[in-house]
Amino acid sequence: MSAREHPFAALLAEYVSECLPLAEDVAERAVALERAWDEGTEADDIARPLKGTLHTIKGNSAMMGLPALQTLAHRLEDLWGVLLSDADSRDAGVALLVRGTGLLADLVRATASTPPAEDATASFLEEVDAFLSAERGAREPAREERRSPDRRTTERRAARAAGELGSDGAISTIRVDSRRLDALLETFGEAMIAQAGMRDAMRHLTHRRSAADELAQLERAMLGLDRTLKRLEGALMETRMLPISTVFSRFTRLVRDLAHGEGKRVRLEVAGGETRVDKTVIDRLSEPLVHLVTNAVIHGIERPEQREAKGKPAEAVITLRAVQRSDRVILTVTDDGRGLDPEGILRKARALGQAPAGDNPSLAEIYALAFLPGLSTADQVSQLSGRGVGLDVVASSIRALSGNVTVGSEPGRGTTFSLRLPLTVAVLRSLLVEVSHERYALPLADVAETLRVRPETLHQVARQGMMTWRGEVIPVLDGGRVLGGDTAESRTYCVVLRSAARHRGLLVDALLGHHEVVVKALDPSLGRPPAVAAATILGDGRVACILDTGRLADGWVEPAAALAT
Amino acid sequence: MSTESILDFAAQLHQAPTAPSLQERELHLVVFRLDREEYAVPIDLVREVVRVADVTRVPQAPAHIRGVMNLRGRILPIVEIRTRLDLGPAELTPASRVVVVDIAGRILGLLVDSVGQVAKVGERLVAAPPDEIRSAGADAVTGVARIGTRLLVLLDLTRLLAAVSPATPSPGPSSASHP
Repeated sequence: MSAREHPFAALLAEYVSECLPLAEDVAERAVALERAWDEGTEADDIARPLKGTLHTIKGNSAMMGLPALQTLAHRLEDLWGVLLSDADSRDAGVALLVRGTGLLADLVRATASTPPAEDATASFLEEVDAFLSAERGAREPAREERRSPDRRTTERRAARAAGELGSDGAISTIRVDSRRLDALLETFGEAMIAQAGMRDAMRHLTHRRSAADELAQLERAMLGLDRTLKRLEGALMETRMLPISTVFSRFTRLVRDLAHGEGKRVRLEVAGGETRVDKTVIDRLSEPLVHLVTNAVIHGIERPEQREAKGKPAEAVITLRAVQRSDRVILTVTDDGRGLDPEGILRKARALGQAPAGDNPSLAEIYALAFLPGLSTADQVSQLSGRGVGLDVVASSIRALSGNVTVGSEPGRGTTFSLRLPLTVAVLRSLLVEVSHERYALPLADVAETLRVRPETLHQVARQGMMTWRGEVIPVLDGGRVLGGDTAESRTYCVVLRSAARHRGLLVDALLGHHEVVVKALDPSLGRPPAVAAATILGDGRVACILDTGRLADGWVEPAAALAT
Repeated sequence: MSTESILDFAAQLHQAPTAPSLQERELHLVVFRLDREEYAVPIDLVREVVRVADVTRVPQAPAHIRGVMNLRGRILPIVEIRTRLDLGPAELTPASRVVVVDIAGRILGLLVDSVGQVAKVGERLVAAPPDEIRSAGADAVTGVARIGTRLLVLLDLTRLLAAVSPATPSPGPSSASHP
């Protein structure tokens, strides 16, 4: 934000958006190179673009008057030159290269808000200088730095990072400030709301008999508007989509650094990076993923000697994978570490008074408990199950995106976290229901079925409502109890919600049909009401809450009061 | 920042007066009514005053939050300021209004029984709140101002609303940039 006050704020933003992908690419390559050299595998493809890219960053930094970055890029070029020409120096030097390129990426990223001070890199540069002079002392006198021979390709690469070069060399994409896209989207949302209002008004009008011609005309216009808005929506959403590799790319270095720090050997594998997801999802995904990957390295994965003792390869593998399933993206974080400890989780949940009602909870139900607040604080859980840092935080940030997260595990074999997220967070296909005279939107993707309640299928077992559904006994929640309306009346309809762990019925008064609603975030003043994910404005201008179906289905929203009749 | 204007005068007692006989500062206040009493908040925190539209209840929202309302496409949290001050919940009448305030970038609506005119009060007329005020909202009462026979209760919105929603206020000066 403070970049706004910088006199060249716009230029600076352009610099960052141009150089950050380059710097991240260099940092990633440095890590890959370290591995390749360590394993003695072919590294030419990894190494080739390094020098040119560093050179571009150096040039751009000089142009923007960022001496710290210019010098850093320059010294990394020097360092790279030495590593390339002298294989003996690689063992010691490549770690320095990894750190330096990482530092470079961090500083470029930080430049968006504050350009780095000139001495930000001082201590690192000293180390590089010490290394270089030691190398030079051991060998011949200092060599002349060679100019980058492939200037043209470098420039072309920079252009490609900025915008895609078409086949004729013309730039076929342009860069747009994402805040403008946000504003455009908001305007589009208003158009949708206005249209919904028109549709409501027309529905009322059609009950009258007069003015049939005008009505028919209006109806045609409405249908036209409908189609146009649909197309506009598609086009608009498309502009906001980014490949998920923009998030994944940061993890190579994170995993490497964490593993080094822990004395573990871990390889990161990535799949499905080309899957395209809304920018808002991308922006808010990074933090929960860092949580999960950090947990996997620190708590999930065993030390090399422990792994070997168990007959596993000393080097562990963490896999980040993205797959698109209709209008959702499923992200998985998989490790081949020690796995979760279901008994430990259950014990802990019982101690907290949070254990599930049944006597024989399924494994899925037990693992779902790991996301309860207070259950997975690092010190407590790492002892009993080897898992830690605030999984409840991960879960709540995923829920804020109308997604959900589940975990599966095989003791001794590893753990997989699955994040189901909408591809876009702006518009949600939802089922509108009414409970105690308030309307609520339920994400359609989480609705398994809606049905009219037959009283004989409803049962009350130890104060817990139960229902038989498709040959299964599922718990049911009274909408009024959970959502704070009256509880006395009996409700007409049941919406069967699904989560990964189980199905659960929600009793409601009326089903109001499918609607595409524009998602609006809840103000932080409203706290984080557990049952509510977001809000929307309906066609008549009233606000309706969008319910957190995942939490409802998993039964996390039942306060003690909801159980007491 | 401007909330300080209320507290300023108390602080000034401790400061060495540079120009003792400066023109007295005036507080510009928006006055509203809860039951029979008049309350006031600094006008520069008030964005607008609107009629009460349909308020949607938010399940399991914090106490003192009555619900949310559509304010031209924005979802506005409605604060039941009455219960915060230990009064019963508001009954909506044609005179009921929502005072939309901006506190360090957080936009909230205060539900009040009615809104009066803007009052200008010389700082001299503001006295410290009487010790006898011990209600739940007393910490948010920063003073009382006498205008003839009227008594205005001055409220510090930051304190009043901190208890409603201890969410961290949005950082920085961004609030000023939005009209």
